[in-house]
Amino acid sequence: MSAEKLSTLEAAAALVRDGDTVAIQNMATQAAPMALVRELIRQGRQDLGVVCLVGGIPVDWLAAAGAMTRLTGAAVSMEQFGLCQRYRKAVEAGAIRVEELSETALNARLGAGARNLPFLPTRGLIGTDLIDVNDNLVMLEDPFGGPSVVACKALVPDVALVHAHKADRFGNIGCEPTALWPDLGIMPKAATTVIVTAEEIVDSEVLRANPDRTVLPGFMVDAVVEAPFGAHPTSFYPRYGYDTALHMEWIGAARDDEAMDRFMANYVTGPAGHAAYLEAVGGAERQTALKAWEQA
Amino acid sequence: MSDWRNSTPADDWTIDELMIARLAACFADGDQACNGMASFVPVSAFWLARLTHAPDLVWLAGAVGLEPRPDRVPASTLEAPLWRDSIMYVEQYGDFWTFALNGRWLTKFCVGAAQLDRYGNGNNSVIGADYHTPRVRLPGTAGLGDMGSIGKALYYWNPNHNPRSLVEQVDFISCAGYLGGGAERVEAGLEGGPELVVTNLCVLDFHPYTRHMQVASLHPGVTFEQVQEATGFELPAPAGPIPATAVPTVEQVRLIREVIDPDNMRRREFGG
Repeated sequence: MSAEKLSTLEAAAALVRDGDTVAIQNMATQAAPMALVRELIRQGRQDLGVVCLVGGIPVDWLAAAGAMTRLTGAAVSMEQFGLCQRYRKAVEAGAIRVEELSETALNARLGAGARNLPFLPTRGLIGTDLIDVNDNLVMLEDPFGGPSVVACKALVPDVALVHAHKADRFGNIGCEPTALWPDLGIMPKAATTVIVTAEEIVDSEVLRANPDRTVLPGFMVDAVVEAPFGAHPTSFYPRYGYDTALHMEWIGAARDDEAMDRFMANYVTGPAGHAAYLEAVGGAERQTALKAWEQA
Repeated sequence: MSDWRNSTPADDWTIDELMIARLAACFADGDQACNGMASFVPVSAFWLARLTHAPDLVWLAGAVGLEPRPDRVPASTLEAPLWRDSIMYVEQYGDFWTFALNGRWLTKFCVGAAQLDRYGNGNNSVIGADYHTPRVRLPGTAGLGDMGSIGKALYYWNPNHNPRSLVEQVDFISCAGYLGGGAERVEAGLEGGPELVVTNLCVLDFHPYTRHMQVASLHPGVTFEQVQEATGFELPAPAGPIPATAVPTVEQVRLIREVIDPDNMRRREFGG
């Protein structure tokens, strides 16, 4: 028998402590574990370090809430919705310190963390200023006589937050056919604690029917939580597209403090839980529209 | 099969279409092309090449969706509607970067940067002197910091040629171009490098020895003086008449407007 991993958003988010380094699955407007991010903000978590490949709205909300002080990642952008303005202002004010990595350097840092190595090398970044401002990157002579490489120090996030299509109660994670971002491939494997929200908790037999679609084994997952539309307002294919209206509302609100506070109260800190949030953002009607992304 | 070979120059082309046609000409059968975020012009260029001179150009949409069949350019170049009906989802870290780093594939990249300097160094990191408290925090290097250093040919596109985007020296190098010019890039052990810069005013390339950016062709109606006025560094004076950039053909314009991007997503990149 495997251990039960089923949890609640409240209990799972409580595994994250103030000051933790938290790897967050995200790709500009895609696949972010938003239900967990909102719960962290509701619980008033402070001084978080965020690790992401391309951070979007979760990074902007964490910055708006004053919950994060560090970011390690390759980019922060909401793609067609523009830059994350709250994050940007916090960085410009010195309130968030950024460790900017190229994609291969972030992969090398996480890959070394996952495999218990001191570092992994990359050929990226050579010639850029990004090496000079980062103590975790060091030029290294190839011991075999080839050109130099950049040694990227191992990164072990305290926690990885992931949203998935399916999970069983033992923490085995299944995904439906979709573009797979690196978050799933490497972040959870590097992190000490792994928390997964899933669109639905299914019987293990459902995963056994397609074991090639099981992407994370239950033994490395610490908590699973059912959270339908748990990536909203980011997209989660093939189930639903991104919410253009809520992204637009956010970029409007982020322009001034009062509007931002109202937005956060209405959607992030105000609703009592995930179900209340889904009602606040338009309920079943909005969900039906987002599910129809292929017709959009 | 569209009759693109015998098509005559269009007389109602717009600047976005000219830039798309010019970039399309950089990609050939046997190449593999990929696009990133906010890349309506490159996406349209790859698609146009595939519909005309390069039907076997491989396209990896968003660096994940192999040979997709979107029905038009969608509102995002990094969302699933772009990679509809892909033949394969390439896992971004496990496979995409392996293909890119290997050296045999993905040898050309279309790239954009907030700042680009006279030696083709790109900046998407920070504006201002202090990296940790910048005047402006830009989105970040993403894949650019890799692409400039791993022997690729870089094709910059810039729909807003002005002295803020084309600068004498970038505030911060987040994409390695020819560094300080001359042989510096080679001495740093780097192969490849910037090939072209396609803007809304002209096409620029790099002098083979000094590696300084220079005007290769002017778009119809644009003068060298106008380009100089819009550029934040001194351009080498032309030795003779500068050629005109080829305008898109009637068929290219039709394909862009009717088949590839009927919703005019490409125009979103202009006027910034």
